[in-house]
Amino acid sequence: MSVNANSSQLSEYLERLPGTTFRRLYQQPSTAFAIFRRMLPHLAKTIVMAMLYMPTPFLLSDLEIWVKPTAKRQKDQALSILRALHIIAVTVPCRETPQSMTLTANFKSSLRFALEGGGDHNSFGVPSQLPIAADVDIAFLDKYARKKWDDILHFVVNSVGLIDSRSDGSNGPKASVKDLLMAGRLVERKGASSTMNITQAGFTFLLQEANSQVWTLLLLWLEAADHANKEGHHTGMESVDMLSFLFLLASLELGRAYSTDALTEPRRNMIPYLVDFGLIYIPHHDRRQYFPTRLATTLTSSESSLRSVSAGFTAASEGMGGAQDSNAIILETNFRMYGYTSSPLQIAVLALFCDLKMRFQELVSGKLTRQSVRRAVDMGITADQIISYLATHAHEQMHRVAASAKKSLLPTVIVDQIRLWQLDTERMATTNGFLFKEFDDYKEYISVVTFADEIGVLQWRNDRKGMFFITYAGLSQVKDFVKNKNKEKKAGK
Amino acid sequence: MPRAIRGVLIECDPSIKSIIMNINESEANAYVIEDLDDSHLVVQESKVQDLKRRLDDHLKETIPEIDRDSDSDRDVKQDKKGW
Repeated sequence: MSVNANSSQLSEYLERLPGTTFRRLYQQPSTAFAIFRRMLPHLAKTIVMAMLYMPTPFLLSDLEIWVKPTAKRQKDQALSILRALHIIAVTVPCRETPQSMTLTANFKSSLRFALEGGGDHNSFGVPSQLPIAADVDIAFLDKYARKKWDDILHFVVNSVGLIDSRSDGSNGPKASVKDLLMAGRLVERKGASSTMNITQAGFTFLLQEANSQVWTLLLLWLEAADHANKEGHHTGMESVDMLSFLFLLASLELGRAYSTDALTEPRRNMIPYLVDFGLIYIPHHDRRQYFPTRLATTLTSSESSLRSVSAGFTAASEGMGGAQDSNAIILETNFRMYGYTSSPLQIAVLALFCDLKMRFQELVSGKLTRQSVRRAVDMGITADQIISYLATHAHEQMHRVAASAKKSLLPTVIVDQIRLWQLDTERMATTNGFLFKEFDDYKEYISVVTFADEIGVLQWRNDRKGMFFITYAGLSQVKDFVKNKNKEKKAGK
Repeated sequence: MPRAIRGVLIECDPSIKSIIMNINESEANAYVIEDLDDSHLVVQESKVQDLKRRLDDHLKETIPEIDRDSDSDRDVKQDKKGW
């Protein structure tokens, strides 16, 4: 198991699933709808909508007429996504009948259900009829989810061991969450000591949007459950059902209570985990209702509204101490760094690569030094990751100055220096391979070295010395070339 | 007939290269297979990690700490004791 850096982890995960799994997933209208909403590009959505009420198969030649020739690439892309997600089935090309496509049966009926309503599938959750406590409002849920999620992020950051554990009395995430983070190699135990260390994947995780972070963790959870089932442990949960439950949660309304009684047994088993992740809130006095938090309801929002997750958080946490301001860093050309934040989490992230000197209410200041950057690089954080963190969290003022002076956002001198400091730790570049020397004559040398250059395996050459160095992979080709040359030479003689 | 010798090509600054050559000499030429030019050389594949470690050790000894330069934050700290 490993974590991907990009935000398309969900589609990668889905595309690995077999067709039978999709058939089961699409039995739920909420799942079909969520996939339609989140995973498809616009053209693919248009094609699906066109086909949804079409009684006969759609001829590919008709689609050809339908889509402008200039958009052929988008059309092919859309079709390949639709096929990968088992939304359409395309007939095998043969001579008698022209190729056509149809929506897969389950997807078609589920999406129709989702759009028209009706049926008793309970796929979009069953609202709780019980009275709701007055203090559970959207602001409360946001605060709750934020606290849970920050605890998890904190655990990842704290694993660096640079700073003391937080002082506000939080115990961090549950052991089950910690195990997940370790299984996903976001943090790892190094050596015999029991201290935790952040990995490069972990740092990438920290730098992601909240929504991608949630998906990263959820996919780790799905994989862990799969793994446990394969090994024969009875978890009472199954990844297909888990996935459709997640899609169900995504379709729920923030701030409303839903009934846990209407859930199946396996789904009720999932609830404690989701509570640990902060996706669900369950009031202490009444365990028969659950509230989805913003983390859950935005799971399948479209890509562009991902930022609104953090925006929602910022709005929710206004006036609340310990909030993470996303845009708070000022970086000066003299390597001084000022972070307008009082979030222990953000301070901890900054401490990964910055030598923090002073801390005030809502401000930390420090300096980027060779040592602090080197320490970060030694932990597996790359210079580019540091630079992108600084850029994404740059203060408004930085943007304003950069825009008015028509300069790059971060001072170029700093960006270059961070890269140089990283290079500093790699004083020599090494390439495994083979050195060729002692050629019979210059002509032979030139012909072989030219060949090696042409096939792109040449690393170094010196015509005067008659030597060159090729990569490991290039040996067999160059060797064959030399042998053939020799044969030709002998034949010529 | 040319010869193909297995090894690791190292590309580095001339200054680093001279340090490597020194290490090599002190170890009876156990590392370097071929000295190519000012910034390239080929070394034994099995010795690369060892060489990297020795180079780091050497650099730690010879390169002074350059971070503790004019740093006014620190100056303030020293001026006002018990900050």
